[in-house]
Amino acid sequence: MSSLLAARNLTKRFPGVVALRGVNFELQPGEVHALCGENGAGKSTLIKLLAGIHPAGSYEGELQVDDRAVAFRGIRDAESAGIAVITQEFALVDELSVAENIFLGRAPRRGPCIDWLEMHRRAGLLLADFGLAVAPETPVRELGIGQKQLIEIIRAIDKRSRVLVLDEPTAALSEHEVAVLLEHLRRLRRLGTACIYISHKLEEVFALADRITVLRDGASIITLPRARTTIGDVIRHMVGREITDLFPRRPAPETKGTTTTPRVLLSVRNLSASRAAANAPFLRNLSFEVRAGEVVGLGGLMGAGRTELLMHLFGAWGHRTAGEVSLGDGPLRNPTPREAIARGLVLASEDRRRYGLVLEQSIGFNLSLSDLRRLTRPSGRLDHAAEFSRNQRLFDAMRIKAPGQSTVAGTLSGGNQQKVVLGKALMTEPSVVLLDEPTRGIDVGAKLEVYHLINELTAAGKGVVLVSSEMPELMGMSDRILMLAEGAIGGEFARADFSQERLLAAAMGRTPRAA
Amino acid sequence: MNARLLKPLAMPIALVAIVVFFALRLDHDALVGGGRFVFLGPRNLTQLLVEFATTGTLALGMFMILLTGQIDLSAGSGVGLVGGIAAVLVFQHGWPAPLAMLAGFAAAVGLWTLMGTLIVRQRIPSFIITLGGLLIFKGLFWLVIQNSTVPVTRGDQDNLYSLLTTYYLPPTAGLAIASFVLAVLGLLVWRSRSARLAHGMPVAPRFKLAGLAAATLAVSFGLVLVCNQFRGVPLTLLILAATAGTVFFLTRHTPFGRYLYAIGGNEEAAVLSGISVNRVLIGAYLLMGVTVALTGFMTTAYSGASTTTVGDLMELDAIAACVIGGTALRGGRGTVGGVIFGALIMTTLLNGMTLLAVSPEIKFIARGAVLALAVWMDVRLGRR
Repeated sequence: MSSLLAARNLTKRFPGVVALRGVNFELQPGEVHALCGENGAGKSTLIKLLAGIHPAGSYEGELQVDDRAVAFRGIRDAESAGIAVITQEFALVDELSVAENIFLGRAPRRGPCIDWLEMHRRAGLLLADFGLAVAPETPVRELGIGQKQLIEIIRAIDKRSRVLVLDEPTAALSEHEVAVLLEHLRRLRRLGTACIYISHKLEEVFALADRITVLRDGASIITLPRARTTIGDVIRHMVGREITDLFPRRPAPETKGTTTTPRVLLSVRNLSASRAAANAPFLRNLSFEVRAGEVVGLGGLMGAGRTELLMHLFGAWGHRTAGEVSLGDGPLRNPTPREAIARGLVLASEDRRRYGLVLEQSIGFNLSLSDLRRLTRPSGRLDHAAEFSRNQRLFDAMRIKAPGQSTVAGTLSGGNQQKVVLGKALMTEPSVVLLDEPTRGIDVGAKLEVYHLINELTAAGKGVVLVSSEMPELMGMSDRILMLAEGAIGGEFARADFSQERLLAAAMGRTPRAA
Repeated sequence: MNARLLKPLAMPIALVAIVVFFALRLDHDALVGGGRFVFLGPRNLTQLLVEFATTGTLALGMFMILLTGQIDLSAGSGVGLVGGIAAVLVFQHGWPAPLAMLAGFAAAVGLWTLMGTLIVRQRIPSFIITLGGLLIFKGLFWLVIQNSTVPVTRGDQDNLYSLLTTYYLPPTAGLAIASFVLAVLGLLVWRSRSARLAHGMPVAPRFKLAGLAAATLAVSFGLVLVCNQFRGVPLTLLILAATAGTVFFLTRHTPFGRYLYAIGGNEEAAVLSGISVNRVLIGAYLLMGVTVALTGFMTTAYSGASTTTVGDLMELDAIAACVIGGTALRGGRGTVGGVIFGALIMTTLLNGMTLLAVSPEIKFIARGAVLALAVWMDVRLGRR
């Protein structure tokens, strides 16, 4: 059978590393082909070769389009061969309208002028085609992440791309938006567009892909038809070992016995908060408690206010309009992050590159950054030796895979960066840990380590608030789940009541029920 | 040779190349055996060190600002203003020099704290605030000195102000202080190294340390001996050394210094790590005020009187020194050692061009070219 796009025996070397070793990959017309593999397995490198980012000559092996060898000199060559890559960092101009973005660089013209009428007419048709209820004049900055992604796909389709490459397209999408995206991709497949789909979320892969190619350590391990494999199989091929328990939640000893109720660490009463003092409240009338040894899951659709709630508790977002928060014995009134940390509340942010790490500094620099005051002698001088040994203890405990704590944080893989962010939070010896999407974009093995860490925290009597967009993870790791819907609590569920349908219904505000 | 070995040597090599260039142009006769040294002579080298001290001190203050990703364009005007205030108080009002300098010092610290506060509390970009400062301080400066020339002493009497750049350490004192400082430095390095080893921390290899020590010893005593052939080690060099030591301690051994790097590297992460970014930024501007005052006194004393051109464009020399020395303009990267080297390179270029009687027009162009080149290199490095 002829192939649309093929990689034959690709080998790509970087100084000191072989990123791809003899990878074979074949995309047939009109199929969705998923690429799976742990971080560092070589998925990104393979895409960069297909997209012309690493030009011909920088690798060994052969790329073929329509069974003919091609040599892309750059992205333009790949684009004119019909390959469009859509990554997590959007190539959209926020200040321009939807129509201008779709036709960026190729606006319809009348003489020397842009034909605005024609442009808006064509953009309107495309948007309607995708069922997107957005006016062509809307500035892109007003769109949600899911909508932006669709705009990029529309642009690629309109450029007559035959191959869409989607790199972790759903990392920032809510379940609902994921469903919409998948439906669009299925429709495009029916129309004959082929798609290379990369995702850590195997449920999605299985809901969409026709075939799955697994990469491990830079080699293509196997290509499987979706119909004849299982998630367990794919994971086994990805890690090269069996993972028996995906979500190894071990409830802390206190919660098992019913003799004594563990004490409340964090209590939120009727909390409302707005983006700025003048705005209407975005978080509305929230009440909940976090007890020692407990994982409280916080779910909801994109924009439901999960991140805002964590950031507000931590003193980094918004203005409190009503309600009380207390931590341990005393109230916590509009703290700064510094005060929150001093009181034993700590946040590990979802966007580690933006909020979590100073990327060009070392692992050690980042680990101790929140806790330097306790590492300072009375004279004002940093105690480098104490800092080093504290860092080293965390470095070992977190099993960060790096030559040492002087390794620059920006060079680490996503999973290891996440371990540094978590290590930094734990360094402050908190009583309550707020985790915002702690496993986003990291591989299966690293996820497991994060889960074990959560178990260790609760076993040590700490309280954990876990925000996650992945339902299985949320249900697997939480003792109790709160679903947020548009800034209010849409439902609270005990572990026995967890079901994906009920949680989703609460997230959409359909059947609010209090536990 | 590979890039990792070459990179730390780039600045010394550049400096040596510049020195060799000027030496060949200016001291050709002396080198082949006849005539006096102009560029490499003890008199000029001493003068070069005084100029180096003023540029270097200001650059060290600028360094801490740049580390946070901010900038200060007002420093040059401030240098003139602070020197002018002290000169007017001494010459026209008969204040004792120490008191007059204290007043200038207070003015500088106050103004820079105010600018820092405006930047963080009102969220006005530092570029704009300090650009305003550049003009406002220049105007204030000319008002203070009434567009005239105000000497730093009355009559020919020496005072603390004039002695800043005219006092030289006696030869033996110079050698003694150099030996003492080097001994203390050596002790500190050795103690920190053994402490690091005891805790299993990584340390620099012995041969590197030995090489560094040998180079430091040779350069330090060489400098003292050359200076002693003229009038001795200038006091300004001690001021620079003290400033450099302080800034080194602050940036490497205190939380404040860590926070400077963290804010420049990722301000949002710094906030979420519990750092009071505002306080740290205001602190950086306050310290800039301190170095502006020190530089103001030294620069004004060096020209003998406060005149309208004192401090002109010094902020650009200071920024150039930092950037040449590897400080990133977007913040988060840089070392004190690099800044010192950068200041030395800038000063040597300016001094050599003056001796070559390069016209002011060309000097402006050359200064601008060096600044642009340094920033270009910074951008290229920053991209990686």
